[in-house]
Amino acid sequence: MNTQNKLPVEKKKIKAKYFINYVFVLALLIPFTVTGLSGSVKGSTSLLLTQIAYSMILAVSLNLVVGFLGELSLGHAGFMCVGAYIGGFFANYLHTIIDSKLIVLILSMLVGGIMAALFGLLIGLPTLRLKGDYLAIVTLAFGEIVRTVFMNQEIFGGAMGLSTQKYGKLLYIIALTVALVTVFVAQNLMRSKHGRAIQAIRDNEIAARAMGVNVTYYKLVVFVIAAFFAGIAGVIYAHNTTPVDYGFFSFNYSIEILVMVVLGGMGNISGSLIAATVLTFINVKLTTHLSGDFAALKFLIYALILILIVMWNNAPKLAVLRNRFNLRRLVDSMMKKIRKKHESAAQEPGSNVEWDRIPTKIPMDTILSTDITPDHSLDPEKPEKPEKGDKK
Amino acid sequence: MNTLINGLCLGGIYALIALGYTMVYGIAKMLNFAHGDIIMVGAYAIFSTMALMGHAVPAIVVAVVVCTLLGLLTERVAYRPLRGASPLAVLITAIGVSYLLQSIAQLIYGSKSRAVSLGNFGSVELFNVSISISSLITLGLCLIIMVALTLFIKKTKVGCAMLAVSEDRAAAQLMGINVNGIITLTFAIGSALAAFASTFYLMQIPSVTPTLGSMPGIKAFTAAVIGGIGSIPGAMIGGILLGVIEKLALSIPALAPYTTAIEFGLLIIILLVKPTGLLGKKRREKV
Amino acid sequence: MKKFTKITCLVFALVFCAMGMISCGTSEGFVENTYKIGATGPLTGDNSSYGISVKEGAQIAIDEINANGGLNGVKFSFEMIDDVAAADKAATGYTTLFEKGMQVSIGSVTSGAAKSFGEAAKEDNVLFMTPSASAADVIATGAHGFRVCFGDPQQGTIAADELVKNYSKIGVIYDTSDTYSSGIYEAFEAQMTKLNKTKGTDYIVKTFNKENNKDFSTQVGDLKAAACDVLFLPFYYTEAGLVAKKAAQEGFNVPIFGCDGLDGIADQLDDSVTAEIKYITPFDVNSDDADVKKFVEAYKAKYNKTPDQFAADGYDAVMIIFEAMKAAKVDNVNITASELTELLKPILTGGEFKYSGVTGKNMIWTAEGSCEKEANIVTLDR
Repeated sequence: MNTQNKLPVEKKKIKAKYFINYVFVLALLIPFTVTGLSGSVKGSTSLLLTQIAYSMILAVSLNLVVGFLGELSLGHAGFMCVGAYIGGFFANYLHTIIDSKLIVLILSMLVGGIMAALFGLLIGLPTLRLKGDYLAIVTLAFGEIVRTVFMNQEIFGGAMGLSTQKYGKLLYIIALTVALVTVFVAQNLMRSKHGRAIQAIRDNEIAARAMGVNVTYYKLVVFVIAAFFAGIAGVIYAHNTTPVDYGFFSFNYSIEILVMVVLGGMGNISGSLIAATVLTFINVKLTTHLSGDFAALKFLIYALILILIVMWNNAPKLAVLRNRFNLRRLVDSMMKKIRKKHESAAQEPGSNVEWDRIPTKIPMDTILSTDITPDHSLDPEKPEKPEKGDKK
Repeated sequence: MNTLINGLCLGGIYALIALGYTMVYGIAKMLNFAHGDIIMVGAYAIFSTMALMGHAVPAIVVAVVVCTLLGLLTERVAYRPLRGASPLAVLITAIGVSYLLQSIAQLIYGSKSRAVSLGNFGSVELFNVSISISSLITLGLCLIIMVALTLFIKKTKVGCAMLAVSEDRAAAQLMGINVNGIITLTFAIGSALAAFASTFYLMQIPSVTPTLGSMPGIKAFTAAVIGGIGSIPGAMIGGILLGVIEKLALSIPALAPYTTAIEFGLLIIILLVKPTGLLGKKRREKV
Repeated sequence: MKKFTKITCLVFALVFCAMGMISCGTSEGFVENTYKIGATGPLTGDNSSYGISVKEGAQIAIDEINANGGLNGVKFSFEMIDDVAAADKAATGYTTLFEKGMQVSIGSVTSGAAKSFGEAAKEDNVLFMTPSASAADVIATGAHGFRVCFGDPQQGTIAADELVKNYSKIGVIYDTSDTYSSGIYEAFEAQMTKLNKTKGTDYIVKTFNKENNKDFSTQVGDLKAAACDVLFLPFYYTEAGLVAKKAAQEGFNVPIFGCDGLDGIADQLDDSVTAEIKYITPFDVNSDDADVKKFVEAYKAKYNKTPDQFAADGYDAVMIIFEAMKAAKVDNVNITASELTELLKPILTGGEFKYSGVTGKNMIWTAEGSCEKEANIVTLDR
């Protein structure tokens, strides 16, 4: 009885969790679109929003590879580079035949994205059989190769970089819309059966293969999709900045994107969005506020923030402290109190399974090396398919 | 011929840095992205001591001491609290440490490159090719250090303990090995190697900047992977191969602008043929 | 989902702490009721020594102007934002400065960033007088762009003429990853072709990429093997010092010839380097000129080091703007950037306005914004 009553509530919760990502992007998009269209948005805000938007796209797409597929990629800036150079080049050509800036932007985004995806396919096909750190260094190498090659092409502007036409102040509206699309694609992909297959590969590749998942196919698909979005982010960069500067796409930038993904939480799209926003914001504000002699402090502060956050989130010894100050838990307990007041007093306190609190992404290794007892908290049946269990 | 010697010499430096990478990776199972910056710190230590005392030998000693202490410090403060956490978290911390060291160096020494001269030893004629003596010293000392390190790991008790920890940390602990102590020792050795690397680096490229370490760091990481990460002879072979290829590419005008691409391309090709590097061990995966 | 709330809170807390810390200590930057000159430049990263020099030179100029009572009693203030020599950061820096009330600017220090700065400044019609961004593309962003230094093509052509006159086999090394270096090289190559010299016999070209590696043993060894009688090094002093030392190490003591980027090479060398070093420069720190002496003394007193070319360019850039504003009889402290640009443009390009400073005498500007002044070839004396 009890569980049946609660089921719809839980279902809604899942939806809310996914919905919150759109809300987050829309919260940036809608108010600034209104101010932007009325012409009162500041230039620096517009630049910042565009940077946030392409950071979001990059972080979410890299999260597909690192968080969901479980492969470490350090070459995301390389795909962005392909998108920026080729998309920018194509846009320069299109500007001569098409008047509408918007159409040029959209077409060049498609071209840049597709070219980056092609490169993703090219690099992914042979290298995705590599594991872990080996794949990481190959992707890093790819990123460096790409930008060296582009730098040495005279048609792409050589050392100066490719001159592009800026889109103008309202670019961020399109950029944020693209971010929204990226979130939509990433989220729905991961919620589909394909997504579950992809996450199964992350949890245990051999087991996934044994279950009939086409590992190579899925790895490639994720890699290509991520490259596609990185390429689009590159095109947005090219419409935001001129000249397209090969130095921007160094491995340092790939690492910056990785930092966003890791700080936001692997396999957590909301986390990526927030980390991308916050880190870009910090970076820009540190740069613009620390003028003159204070500029050297920027990296110091940034580095300290990085180290402290990672420590706080991961250090085993801080686990106790962390739990005490866990906001989520505080909010949860408050919510529970409120809910208790609203719901009938007849509800037993122990029957609340709280299955959303149980880690749903349990690495297959852990499961296989754990003795599964009926009441063990790592029982994978409960979090995955509560309805089925109920019907039985 | 000249190119080859230069390549060997540069390769020796890469190999020394790669040794530090590979040891730390093999034993602590983490990519120490700050390793390149320890070289930078070593170079600044040499620069400061040279400015104070004007002689190379104490400068090198100071650099070794400073780097070792720095290695121990970063291990203790930044990495040990994260032992057992996800490897990516440690990776990010290492990147943070790298940024931190660079900005501290810039705050102390400024960003202008500082010239350091460890002395000009002139050059000698060998088989009709003039070879600078500092290249020979670099090459010779690199070889000696590598052989000594290999012997240390193969022949001493502590070396065996290191091997055991790299093989299976939990089992090593059960056998009574002080795992934390071994990891600390590894960091100390790796950082001391970095100090030697910075000495040789300054012999070849006599100036210091705060960002000195980042590119050699990445190159050495590449070298370590080419050789098979975790393998000490692999790191040597990888480093020297990378150095020679780099110099060969630079000496051919048409290829010279693409040197970076060629080096990294080599890495990709090698990994495609041998997915665990030249001397990497294959591990069978079990469910 | 669980983690990010934590993170956000923590991050915001830290940012506010950091911001609080910073806002307590800023001494430079725009001041109310002054003419505001803005700039971006690399203050961190590989190119930061150039940006820092420009900033310090400009600050000396500002101090000097303010000490002399400013323009009709109105003082000047200067602010430079770090752009790490990157195009995107230069644009962000420009926008921030513009919103802070920048009225005129000295642009950015490096070419790529300066181009980005110029493109952004075009929309608001803000005049910029870049001290050191020498690529042709920079001032080509529009009529609002001017520069103090020589352009890359100018220097490449001068170098080719000069070298062909005195030497028979020229060894060239240039940086493919750097706009300045490849820009000069392209002009050099064009001029060499014009002078009927062939690549490979009359001059031999080697390249490097300063991001990748600064070990010059191969390039120097090859040029030595080819028996070149001069080294032409069109890049900055940091790398040129390394080449000079490597050449000395190899016993390859031919003269070294360079462009204005070589200024400042003296403290990169050691006793082993005996070769003669010559470079094209409008600024000579040892000059007896009164302006130069005054500037060098002021700089040494404030920063306790010898100024280089970048500092001198930075100083002149601010001074030129000041003199031009004086000539235009600007007397409204709240003048908008666009109005000021329209006032200054005809003055600078009019032909009557001539500026004599530390990097040259009687400088005039063409309509494109490039500076015409005399090029000196100085020999480094040690």
